[in-house]
Amino acid sequence: MGPDGETEPKTVECRQLTKVFRRLLAGRAKAIYALREVSLSVHRGQIVGLIGPNGAGKSTLLNLIAGLILPNEGHVTVCGHPARSIAARRGLGYMPEHPVFPGLYTARAILRYHGALLGFSSNGIARQTDRSIEQLQMQEFIDRPASDFSQGMKQRLALAIAMMNEPHLLLLDEPSNGLDPVGIIQLRDLLKQLRDSGAAIVISSHRLGELEKLTSDYIFMHRGRIVSFADRIAANQAGRLHVELVSNGRQIAENIGPRFPVLETSDTTLVIAVRTPEEVPDIVSDLARGGARIMSVLPQRESIEEVFLRLCKEGT
Amino acid sequence: MRACELMKETFYRRTYIWIVHVVWLALYGGFWWFFLPDMPEMGRFLFIWGGFFLALALSAGIFGDDIASGRICILVTKPFWTGELYIYRVLGLSLQAAVHLVLAGGLILALHAIMGKGNVDGLGVWLLATWLLFNTCAALSTSLSVIVGRAFNSLLLLVIIATGYFTMGLMVTYLRQEASSGVLASFIRYPWPPFELLYKLAAGEWGQYTLTVGKYSVTKSFACVVHSLMLTLVYSIIGILLLSRREYSRVRD
Repeated sequence: MGPDGETEPKTVECRQLTKVFRRLLAGRAKAIYALREVSLSVHRGQIVGLIGPNGAGKSTLLNLIAGLILPNEGHVTVCGHPARSIAARRGLGYMPEHPVFPGLYTARAILRYHGALLGFSSNGIARQTDRSIEQLQMQEFIDRPASDFSQGMKQRLALAIAMMNEPHLLLLDEPSNGLDPVGIIQLRDLLKQLRDSGAAIVISSHRLGELEKLTSDYIFMHRGRIVSFADRIAANQAGRLHVELVSNGRQIAENIGPRFPVLETSDTTLVIAVRTPEEVPDIVSDLARGGARIMSVLPQRESIEEVFLRLCKEGT
Repeated sequence: MRACELMKETFYRRTYIWIVHVVWLALYGGFWWFFLPDMPEMGRFLFIWGGFFLALALSAGIFGDDIASGRICILVTKPFWTGELYIYRVLGLSLQAAVHLVLAGGLILALHAIMGKGNVDGLGVWLLATWLLFNTCAALSTSLSVIVGRAFNSLLLLVIIATGYFTMGLMVTYLRQEASSGVLASFIRYPWPPFELLYKLAAGEWGQYTLTVGKYSVTKSFACVVHSLMLTLVYSIIGILLLSRREYSRVRD
């Protein structure tokens, strides 16, 4: 998602990805196009939020990057290696939406198991386990069997597993599902630390408010396509200016109406549509020239939730 | 470490697995205790329960469970050859069966010593044949588990083996005089789990068929062992290819 012509190595690069799901013995007409010619790239140190309505293709995209499914067309590379290759998986951490663990294993045994799969020595596993317990506050349930875990505990454990190999790329599918508020804050801090250490993180989530606190880079997906690269929305996005006046709000609204659209009017307040943040000083000058006695001016940026709803409406 | 954890997992993956071992051992003991069989009957009992039904019970959903629950998605994103997952799981099952059969042998010998009746001649060969059959069936069932959801791999294998052998047996009986009966018999004998060959090996009939490579041939009993190992290998290779080429996630979002 970096600017064009950038030479910085890409952690993830997807080119013209198309994924079609076909049912056995069903005709071509019943094929589901989960992704259509999707191209994107993610750089190190970047957190990207995948957003979109259900069935938009977010999880399919994550699965393709993780190498769990194969594209019908196009290709994916992770750290320069084809997705699904061992080299690509070496720097990959993946957390599914609904993590499942063998019920007889304790959290400690599960961490040991995954440490062994990653090729760690006994000492390495012990070190990683201690670190995970500390980072994700797992002391309370580390020696309990997985069959007793709540959803939040499973999420913490799945996150610990995904981060065990200090990945260059972390793929998270609904990571804050079932986490309590403290857990969500810890998760956010942890992801920021990871980003600062150079890892790229791709998050698919419906919790837009949470995403907004982590990143300003979004990919909005709709019906298998990337609808809008709404990256750096916070810096450039359209918004609203909330102006509090002493009086005469309606009359002043009529005066500035032609230049700046007034969305809401009362005698003491105006809400004016703002296309770019640079317009704000001009609006304030115009208001002052029009005789407005301004008490306060408050820019109201469009939240990612509002952007999401707007894009959904535009999409339909 | 990885091999050890993957093999250990075949025992700990389901709560019922240790119960299966205990129940099967109790069955062997009960059969000996109540029927006081001669070795061929006891051997047959061991052969079918330890070689076939045990393999079905232990391998039920060995990959199907992980694929259905989505757990496989975490496993296959780890940086190692996916075939290792298959190999070490089958080895884990084989190791469990080996320990199980040693315990079964010990149990039978102990009962023999306590009761002072019956005979245990050829028990070792029966245990070997049972273990070889277990490996072949476990590999076939594990390969089926890669493509059949949940624990239906074992059920499917049970139905295939039972229906297949019954139907083929009938056909061979009725077509005894026909030239095609030989072809059918070979079709039953060679590509399917080697019930007949290993049974003959254990029963001391030493097999009727010799493995020949050009002018070289091996003893008939050894040929049976090699044949069963080759089948295990072939089933495993098919399973590994299926596992490493399949898609792991069923999410359509």
